[in-house]
Amino acid sequence: MQWITIYKKEWLEMLRNYKWIWVPLVFVLFCIIDPLTTYYLPVIIEATGGLPEGAVFDMPTPPPSEVFMMSIAQLNTLGVLVLALMTMGTISGEKKSGVAELILVKPVSYFSYLTAKWAAASTLLILSAAIGLTASWYYVQLLFGDVSFSAAVGVIFFYSLWIAFLTSISLFMNAWSRLPGLVLFFTLASLMIMSLVTSLFSNDLAWSPARLSSYLRSLLITGEVPVDLWYTSLVTAALTILLLYAGTKRLKKSSRLS
Amino acid sequence: MMSGVVHMLTENLPVLLPLVVIQIILMAAALISLTRTKETRGPKWMWVLLIIFVNTLGPVAYFIFGRSEER
Repeated sequence: MQWITIYKKEWLEMLRNYKWIWVPLVFVLFCIIDPLTTYYLPVIIEATGGLPEGAVFDMPTPPPSEVFMMSIAQLNTLGVLVLALMTMGTISGEKKSGVAELILVKPVSYFSYLTAKWAAASTLLILSAAIGLTASWYYVQLLFGDVSFSAAVGVIFFYSLWIAFLTSISLFMNAWSRLPGLVLFFTLASLMIMSLVTSLFSNDLAWSPARLSSYLRSLLITGEVPVDLWYTSLVTAALTILLLYAGTKRLKKSSRLS
Repeated sequence: MMSGVVHMLTENLPVLLPLVVIQIILMAAALISLTRTKETRGPKWMWVLLIIFVNTLGPVAYFIFGRSEER
């Protein structure tokens, strides 16, 4: 019951500060910009001065699945940055301004406080990514060729897990630090370390969440969910729950100290 | 050559239109939000210029950093 109240409060706040408008729009922009620029590359080169006389430059058209993966890559960089920037102040800002104390004085458990915030931010980001990827799928279909819709839906489903995981990292860091800048730094740093470690020990860490998007490529090409992807998503979901649990513990501890 | 580009743009308008529409909505939303908030981080006129002249990045920067008070 109280969980739903906090969830609704978060939702209302995101409506008031226009997040429900700009986040979906920006994600759609991220997703459709690459299919468009890839398609219009010859025209863009022509318009910006053209190739030097006599230069022969044969541009191969990338396969449709690759173009769709470009949108995923775009979300993995710019999208993640927006996610981290958007969520960096969600608890730490409230701690600073005293709103967190105001809420936590009431019989609200730390767990529902944290998870409701996580769920609200994840809902917005997952919906935005889903809209963006659907738009990208439409453009790929229009300009490049066939990508099976069921594979695209599969990609969106598995990518949602990744987003929920990223949000849980950010909220975990939120529980640790009062400074939004530090939260941002630690969130991005932990992601970098994770992808570095995963690529260093790629044989042992086949199910690391950092490899989720690379399995999405084979899902798109073959149209079947690779076994590794199932295990990777299990690991991702487990880590998400673990991070939320650890975040709750930390939040409890830090408020007892202050 | 330039007329060729113009021709191509008019021909592909349905494909390119969403791009323009999204940027206009972003800009409009940022400007509406700007007129409603009392205080911004940094002078307001600076944000107006950023939102109007730096497309996409301007409105996004305003939404993330611009408002000093979140609610």
